[in-house]
Amino acid sequence: MARRAHPVSRKGPKIEVDNATRLCGDRVIVVAVDAASVTFGPGEIHAVVGENGAGKSTLLKLCAGVMEPTSGTVRIAGTPLAPATVAEAARRNVLMVYQHFMLVGAFTALENLLLGNEAVLSGGRLDLARARRDVEALAKRTGLTVPLDAITDTLGVGDKQRLELLRVLHRGAEALLLDEPTAVLTPLEANDLYATLRALADEGRTVVVVTHRLDEVVRFADRVTVMRRGKIVLSRALDRGAGIAVPELTRAIMGHEAPPAFAPPDVREEAASALSVEGLTFTDAGGRTWLDGVDLSVKQGEIVGVAGVEGNGQRELVHAIAGLLPRATGAVRVGGRALPFDANEARAVRSRRKVLRVVHEDRQAEGLMLDAPVSDNLVLGALLEIPPGEEEKTVERRIASFGIVPSDPSRRAAELSGGNQQKIVVARALDAFFASGAPAGGAVVLAQPTRGVDVGAAAAIHAAIGRAAEAGLGVLVVSADLSELRTICHRLLVMHKGRIVAEMAPSAPEEKIGRAMLGLEAA
Amino acid sequence: MRARWKEPALVVTIAIAGLWITFNLLAFAFAESPAATLSRAIAGTWGTPYGIGQVLFKATPLIFTGYAFHVAQRSGLFNIGAEGQLAAASLCGAAFAANLKDSIPAPIAIPLALLVAAGVGALVAAPPAIMRARLGVHEVISGIMMNRIVDVLVPFTLATLLGASSMRTADVKPAAVLPRLDRAFSALTGSAASLAFPLAIAAVVGLHFWLQRSRGGRELGWIGMNVGACRAEGVDVRRRLTQAMLLSGAFAGLGMSATVLGYKGYFEIGLGSGAGFAGVAVALLGRGHPVGILLAAVFFGTLEQAGLAINARVPKEAMTVLEAVAIVLVSAASRFAKTSEARS
Repeated sequence: MARRAHPVSRKGPKIEVDNATRLCGDRVIVVAVDAASVTFGPGEIHAVVGENGAGKSTLLKLCAGVMEPTSGTVRIAGTPLAPATVAEAARRNVLMVYQHFMLVGAFTALENLLLGNEAVLSGGRLDLARARRDVEALAKRTGLTVPLDAITDTLGVGDKQRLELLRVLHRGAEALLLDEPTAVLTPLEANDLYATLRALADEGRTVVVVTHRLDEVVRFADRVTVMRRGKIVLSRALDRGAGIAVPELTRAIMGHEAPPAFAPPDVREEAASALSVEGLTFTDAGGRTWLDGVDLSVKQGEIVGVAGVEGNGQRELVHAIAGLLPRATGAVRVGGRALPFDANEARAVRSRRKVLRVVHEDRQAEGLMLDAPVSDNLVLGALLEIPPGEEEKTVERRIASFGIVPSDPSRRAAELSGGNQQKIVVARALDAFFASGAPAGGAVVLAQPTRGVDVGAAAAIHAAIGRAAEAGLGVLVVSADLSELRTICHRLLVMHKGRIVAEMAPSAPEEKIGRAMLGLEAA
Repeated sequence: MRARWKEPALVVTIAIAGLWITFNLLAFAFAESPAATLSRAIAGTWGTPYGIGQVLFKATPLIFTGYAFHVAQRSGLFNIGAEGQLAAASLCGAAFAANLKDSIPAPIAIPLALLVAAGVGALVAAPPAIMRARLGVHEVISGIMMNRIVDVLVPFTLATLLGASSMRTADVKPAAVLPRLDRAFSALTGSAASLAFPLAIAAVVGLHFWLQRSRGGRELGWIGMNVGACRAEGVDVRRRLTQAMLLSGAFAGLGMSATVLGYKGYFEIGLGSGAGFAGVAVALLGRGHPVGILLAAVFFGTLEQAGLAINARVPKEAMTVLEAVAIVLVSAASRFAKTSEARS
């Protein structure tokens, strides 16, 4: 049954979380949300911040009926949310936009909008014409324009994010819960998103945003709630102008002072090239060109960042350098030696391992064996390189020198937090270089090294990157987090549609980098 | 620390309760007393030394095929082809052992016959293995196809190449016959349990340690856990997948030690049939643990033997029903145990 598009300016419901606790986990029980009480009121943007695993997403899921509190209650407009299901929450006009897009790639944007909320004629036929009229009116009113007839896969992340918003609004959302909506957006797109959210809040809706970016909180939110280890440690209004400063939030989030700022080690001007890529081109079997003549070079001891909107070839760049794309053409050199593209990927990767290590972007898909113990994860692929009898020692050294917690090597990787999982992947890549002395002209490529990682683990990983550069390795960092790249890199490259379109100093204005990421500006 | 036995204990309790109810219903359906049927079943299996010997004999090929399935499964492959691998290995192993020189002594003849059987098992597994590793063809499709090919090739080979008119091979040479266990334990007299049973256990233990300790074995298991991570770290995924499938086929082929070398002394059409598919169930029931697989194989052996014992009153197919119910219950119960543990 289709819900009619709702009238404008109906007041959003007040969502009250009252002393809610939620336990999560399969084998290891974790208190994800610990006796939390907070109220999300109508007409404002309420930001929820905290480290990874602090319970932000879980709190949102409790409000949206995705999960049921183990104890305590969630009230929507004064009435407890029961049964605690997504359908019931939606019936009360509380809808959530998830961290990852929940869209069917092969559908058109319009079809995705209607999925699960279809307007039907008699006999179950879709009433596309009416749906389109409704959606177009809604889009016009909210300013959320999306090409409705485009195949969703071909849309950019900004369009997809708008599509997700439009979808929950079309379902009649009066309370919107957004989980890290700006994680994949460029600064410009994020600004647009917040402008839309502001308009929705001004119409009286309840808007809750989980985010990692504190500058967004200070710039756009009316109210902020800080979570730490499942507990709410701070919840208060932000006065525009005189609000909480970023350092104060950081203290609340971490529970202690922020770690010292990272400063990349100096590079010698005359340093030789460590990693160089020339004319790297890759077209997939479907004929889509992902890499279109990429040229770049990283000097020994230099940290170079690759910025860009995701899906512009960064993933393929890393894969091609790693030797995982046999069809790629062009040249990849490390320490002056050309690395082959071998149809046998295993041979290609192994021939690189002595001089080049890669951390891939998706640690779950390409990094870790979640069901295997930490010890196995730390030596994956290295069984031939570790002298017999040294394996246990190697594992212990990697755990200790990267501060992996818990330090028990027999724990399953799945039981570790995202930050510690990421430390495993980074330790596996870098420790061999650290322990045996970095090979002259060696290089390291890290994709999204701190994605979904808390501040403490991110600092540890950044320190390891700095150490790699100090050891004379060339470091290439690909990241969607612009502020990370601006902090740790000597030089920034911007990638757009499979090309390096700009080279900038990390101190370049964010707006300028953002424009280059969208292909609007070439350097 | 959470008690490690809690989940298995819950699974076993649920499974036994479900099996008991099913057993009662089956007995009632044939107007028999469940208690009397059960006592007859027990008398025919664990009630007498002969029964025990028969159970072990029935369990032996299942240990081989069950662990064979497990080896492939560790690397993420589903070896549905054990049926054909075992049949081809049985035929070729028997034909080879029948044509050995009389002068070859048992310590050479038996290993040679086993080697041939393992080799043929691996050979039948090779097309699915290579097609999977090189071309990405799903091993279940090609495995079923190989089963059908072997189905036809076995009688063809017997009739045409070996010229056998009675659809069986000649008797294997006495030196290649695996001694029955009743030579050491006189109580087992008459049962078909042979040296193949301890051999199966030794083979499982050996392979288990290879999987746990060696580079090849560990990488094989890692591929099963995350092939993407293995590829990114330079593990030779194609080679390991091929190895896993060939090893699985070889292990399934060794199942002929119980039926051909330890029992009949020749191969005939249908000998050992069903053990390949039952191995899948055994591996699932054994939940990837060597001891679990041994127990599951003995459990299935018990049901098979019990089926013969009750056949006069309740058809032996009743026991096949129980096998199926056991698989369903264990799958469902282990899922239930996991989620209830998470809730508690």
